[in-house]
Amino acid sequence: MNSAHVVARSLGKSFSEKRVLDNLSFSVEPGDVVGVLGKNGAGKTTLLEMMLGFSPATAGQVTLFGHDSYRMPADVKTRVGFVPQQDELLNALTAGDQLRLIASFYPRWDAALVERLCTAWGVNLGARIRTMSVGERQKLSILLALGHKPQLLILDEPVASLDPIARRQFLEQIVEVAADGERSVVFSSHIVSDIERLANRIWILKEGRLYWQGDLDSLKESIVRVHLRGATPLPERIEIPNAVSVRRDGNHVVAVVRDWDDGAARDLERRTGMTPEVETLALEEIFLELHR
Amino acid sequence: MFILNPQSGTPIYKQILEQVRRMVASGQLQPGAELPSVRELALKHAVNPMTISRAYGLLEAEGLLERNRGKPMTVAAQPRANAQLARRLEQIEPHLDHVVLAARQLQLSEAEVVKALRRKWGETDE
Repeated sequence: MNSAHVVARSLGKSFSEKRVLDNLSFSVEPGDVVGVLGKNGAGKTTLLEMMLGFSPATAGQVTLFGHDSYRMPADVKTRVGFVPQQDELLNALTAGDQLRLIASFYPRWDAALVERLCTAWGVNLGARIRTMSVGERQKLSILLALGHKPQLLILDEPVASLDPIARRQFLEQIVEVAADGERSVVFSSHIVSDIERLANRIWILKEGRLYWQGDLDSLKESIVRVHLRGATPLPERIEIPNAVSVRRDGNHVVAVVRDWDDGAARDLERRTGMTPEVETLALEEIFLELHR
Repeated sequence: MFILNPQSGTPIYKQILEQVRRMVASGQLQPGAELPSVRELALKHAVNPMTISRAYGLLEAEGLLERNRGKPMTVAAQPRANAQLARRLEQIEPHLDHVVLAARQLQLSEAEVVKALRRKWGETDE
């Protein structure tokens, strides 16, 4: 029996003629925090919604806790928490009423946790939702998804409208979930530095495909910028294996290289007779380089 | 106790490895000293707990740290002096790589660099 929380096999999704997701295979294990990166329109929201079973796959499948996400039994749904990009709060209610309404669906609701977070995050339970700011609504949506202590937490751009302090408080909650070891988180964000702090695994979506997936640590260790500098202008044709991009400027060649390791360094030194200088990259830089 | 920069190209687990090795080698961390728990560090720096436990696990395998049931990890009793020396030399290795690389690019000979290093050494002694 596979203990993975999520398993996708050759998952695909098309809307009429347009293919939005193409042949994705991945898994989410207990304890994982997965950061989903991609440009606007890369398919992030569709991917997260497919995991939640909002619509059926048009190819392959994705399972949550062993069940096809589109046909999830009710008791499996209660093990999942979701923060959508556009909140689904009810404008007519107060924050407190909305919390009580959601809590009534879940037997395992952790009222003490929610109360503590309401105080820490400054959520005013008496406020009418229609009068709340975007940031306040976002905090409330996150609370609603955390309250039933889901085993799998899925968040679509959860922090876009939060100030730096609220964002840090949110990150601390994700650390708490991750520290549990038996729970998992999948979140998308354009705030790459948040993903860089929190995620142990990275999915980079590009035009509906999983362009890269793996550990954040290996991503940082395997994609680097390599500099070659010569005393005289370098030959026109320098072959750099696994280069994602190569720029040259007279005596200086800069290449972004995949699958970098000591062997690749020795190989390049042998080919060129120059000692490569290696620059490791922050996640944001890696993301930008892969989209040049 | 650690300086962690999540936005660095160096993974966080490696930053912890390097800092613990250096602090133990220099005696800033003495045998028996307690390390913060994984959860405590993860919360303090808002980073993934797994990257910290990975670092602790590797440091345990290296013999630098000791796991204690239900208690914080501690710095292990350090082995013989020559092992200590090897470890300290390991610390300076990346800096030496840097010097060698720069020297090659400047087309300086080994003898010239060693001479320059000796001169530096003398200067800082005074």
